[in-house]
Amino acid sequence: MYHSDHAKSRDARAKVLEFCRALGVTASGVELSDAFDLIEIATRIRADVRREKASGAAVRFNIAGGTRLMSSAALLVCILEGVPATYVHDETHKEIPLPLLRMTYGDHLTARQREVLAFLVENRERAYTETALAKALGVHKATMNHHLRELGAKGAIERVRDPDDARALQIRAAPGMELLLG
Amino acid sequence: MTDRALVATFGFDERRVLPALRLLAYDELVLLAGRNSTRADGYARLKALEPSLRTVLVDPFDLGDCLDRTASTLRDLAHANRSVRLSVTGGTKILGAAALLAAFQEGVEAWFCDPEPVRLPVLRGVRIVESVSPAARDLADSLRGPMPADRLLSRASGHGLSAREARAALGQLVAHGLAEEALDRGTVIVRPTTVLEAFRPHLSRHAARKA
Repeated sequence: MYHSDHAKSRDARAKVLEFCRALGVTASGVELSDAFDLIEIATRIRADVRREKASGAAVRFNIAGGTRLMSSAALLVCILEGVPATYVHDETHKEIPLPLLRMTYGDHLTARQREVLAFLVENRERAYTETALAKALGVHKATMNHHLRELGAKGAIERVRDPDDARALQIRAAPGMELLLG
Repeated sequence: MTDRALVATFGFDERRVLPALRLLAYDELVLLAGRNSTRADGYARLKALEPSLRTVLVDPFDLGDCLDRTASTLRDLAHANRSVRLSVTGGTKILGAAALLAAFQEGVEAWFCDPEPVRLPVLRGVRIVESVSPAARDLADSLRGPMPADRLLSRASGHGLSAREARAALGQLVAHGLAEEALDRGTVIVRPTTVLEAFRPHLSRHAARKA
């Protein structure tokens, strides 16, 4: 059970844990330090889901609770890891299975596009122009331009103005691309 | 230049939508809202601000309805060659969750603007249904209840798949949790799972369009 560090959320966790104890159901709570950081939440949930799956547990996720970003991060992880997700309706308490399938986004990029994107993800702290990127990866500038246009069309990269040179554009991996590649 | 459409979930408070309107450039605005929401003062203020806005009515407490209407709105806009973005900041939580799921299904960028913009990572234009091969989609369409694997595979062969392709398609359905195989008195029985039943309308729609 994932929850925020808000007092109301901690109270709710205590009640759920007590209820589960009364039913004899094993339960534990995970407090998220920032319930509004989508990437951090998704990374944490994904690591937990992978650990549980590796231990042989059958994992299902109820995404109805928490902040919108928490349930969105959980939904993203369910899609990336192929975990069945349900939404338990607040009023009817009906369990609604969500129509989703495992998605390996990396399969929808070419090997070269994956390589470029992985490089940008690994070097987030450094700024690269198109030319510098072509040089770093040892490809012709025109070839790099083609890959970047394809990645840009998919929303995988962003082009931002170079603060030191108004004519130049820096290339960055879009936020969260590490999740789609990993 | 392609027109930009912004689709936004809406409840009663226009202030939940305004940050997205300011941050995400658009040429056309489409609201997803319940009937009661269109009678709210916030809706009137938004309409005064954007007289050309179009509203798609949803039942904001019915996840299936929200999902279907959002997905079809996104598809229609994409077919009209619009560049589409979705803001899931306003409206009920059910509407937000359904809209987000529709965004993943249809490969559309989804954003939270509350008020800082957060973009959900997705590859634009890559739809979830593409993780299932056309052959597996056809096989799923034939799998309406428990049946012997041999019969299902021979049906697939009747649809032009080789035995090898049909077996690979069945393997893909099982790997995706869309079908289960079990041994029953020496016969392998294949059953559709609840995941397949939930996903079936989406798979069928794409199968039909392909045809």
